[in-house]
Amino acid sequence: MQGFALYPFDPPGDIAALRADLRGWLTVNQPQDDVVARANCWASFDAGFSRALGAAGYVGMTLPARYGGGDRHLLERYVVIEELLAAGAPVGAHWIADRQTGPLILRYGSEAQRERYLPGIAKGELYACIGLSEPGAGSDLAAVRTTARETAEGWRINGQKIWTTGAHFSHIMLALVRTEEESERNAGLSQVLIDLDTPGITIRPIIDMAGHHDFNEVFFDDVLVPHGALVGERGQGWKQVTAELGLERSGPERYLSSHALLAALIDAAGPDPDPAVASLIGELTAEMWTLRQLSMSTAAKLAAGEDPMVEASVVKELGNAFEQDMPRRVQAIVDCAWEGSDDLARLLRALLIASPSFSLRGGTREIIRGIIARGLGLR
Amino acid sequence: MSASRDMLCDTARAVFAEAAAKGVAPVEEAGFGSLLVPEDQGGFGGDWCDANEVLQIAGVIVPELPVAEVIASEALQPAAMVSLMAGAMGQALALSIEHVNMRQQFGRPLGKFQAVQQSLAVMACEVRAVEAAAAALAVRLDVANLDPSVVGFEIAAAKLRANRAVGVVTSIAHQVHGAIGFTEEYDLHRVTIPLMRWRGTHGNDAHWAQILGRQVAGFGGRGLWEVMTARGA
Repeated sequence: MQGFALYPFDPPGDIAALRADLRGWLTVNQPQDDVVARANCWASFDAGFSRALGAAGYVGMTLPARYGGGDRHLLERYVVIEELLAAGAPVGAHWIADRQTGPLILRYGSEAQRERYLPGIAKGELYACIGLSEPGAGSDLAAVRTTARETAEGWRINGQKIWTTGAHFSHIMLALVRTEEESERNAGLSQVLIDLDTPGITIRPIIDMAGHHDFNEVFFDDVLVPHGALVGERGQGWKQVTAELGLERSGPERYLSSHALLAALIDAAGPDPDPAVASLIGELTAEMWTLRQLSMSTAAKLAAGEDPMVEASVVKELGNAFEQDMPRRVQAIVDCAWEGSDDLARLLRALLIASPSFSLRGGTREIIRGIIARGLGLR
Repeated sequence: MSASRDMLCDTARAVFAEAAAKGVAPVEEAGFGSLLVPEDQGGFGGDWCDANEVLQIAGVIVPELPVAEVIASEALQPAAMVSLMAGAMGQALALSIEHVNMRQQFGRPLGKFQAVQQSLAVMACEVRAVEAAAAALAVRLDVANLDPSVVGFEIAAAKLRANRAVGVVTSIAHQVHGAIGFTEEYDLHRVTIPLMRWRGTHGNDAHWAQILGRQVAGFGGRGLWEVMTARGA
């Protein structure tokens, strides 16, 4: 890995105005729901909010106008999503479609697929989930066994996906499946777009340890999708998925999921905080500021058409550590009852319980460190 | 990087290599004292992004010499130290990678072992974070025409972040090197001892954490985000 070069974060247009407009829009349109919903808000589903956000032009921003998108720069979208996350807006419904499925359909999809799906995504009305993990293929993604066999009528899909976030409210799944018989490991895989109302699909909830229903298991029993459901090139699924994961790993969600807790800590501390609390606020601020620089630089590199695979992994690794440590460090310093009813206590409890997932979703810590090590020239 | 900055860095490498044997005199004679002095005042007319590159090189080649004092004013020494630390950490990482790819145990290079790979990944993340902090601080200082009073937030954040990386970087670098890294003849201590010293120089963790924490407490919870976004991008 070469020494770090800071890519200048230089979006076109008036960024201060973009922020101000969005902040003004949020004061009117953001649901004033419970403060706990503002933490980890990219897992908060609110279709009404997503639709309103889409109507205001803040979803599908980088998609071309002919597909209903905003024709905006990638870094303008970055500014918008960091504002949404810092405000704790409930962006979970459209999050995956906006972040990765839409861009991937634009890049690899057929014209028919673009016309069919992108306008709904840009409206904040069409939601997507990602079919990667399977019972036997977690970190070892190349062990995928779900098959799609080409027949005269189309592709016949059999198998099972698991840990599929949002499958229960999504309209489509972009799935990694084995299209080539007898193929092994990362060869012979392809991506297919599956309408989730197709007969033969069963979606069952998996309730997580916080009592939430975010992820699911999805069963495919002889599911028939048209020939045109294939996305990109047959057999190139591994390459396409790897590119997709780069989009997934470096965004501001990797350090802003717990921002509501930092804000609550600062508000609870008041303008003249106890020295231990001041110290903690200082440390967390220094880490967050640095992460923001790394994340913006990585986004700028991505926007410049380069592949920041390793940088994206660095952002994810450091961001996950920051977000997992934050509630623990707050608890160590601030006297907060576990069952306390104030904002700080409730956010703290929610994030302590939610945070183990941070270094699992989007690639485990061990896999991410392996990618970084390879970037360093090891193994 | 611009061509003139490339040339500046080449000069710095050559001059610092000479200074490593002779002391700081060649650095002064080569005119690094006027690096930040505007051209119309007879200086080199460089900016802090230039200084950041030069100081990172100094952190690798001559960490024990007062190069930062030659280049920058007293008020900018904490900022200069972040660049020195980024350079020294980058060198500790480079030495560690070289060592684990070469040194064999159990019939294969250390770098083939997952435990070693994971350790070095952790270290690399810290090094990249400090490099990013130094680079972002440099951009901010240049926007502020090197007025440290306007950049107090970023100086505090960057020095604190650099300080907090020192423990991880020095301990992993020494751990993967084994006994050879603990010897006088091997180069690792030439960067790790300065890193240990610099954590407590121009403000240790507690110093900057208090300053930054009290400043941010004054912003309020929502205010932190508004201030951070107003100060860059």
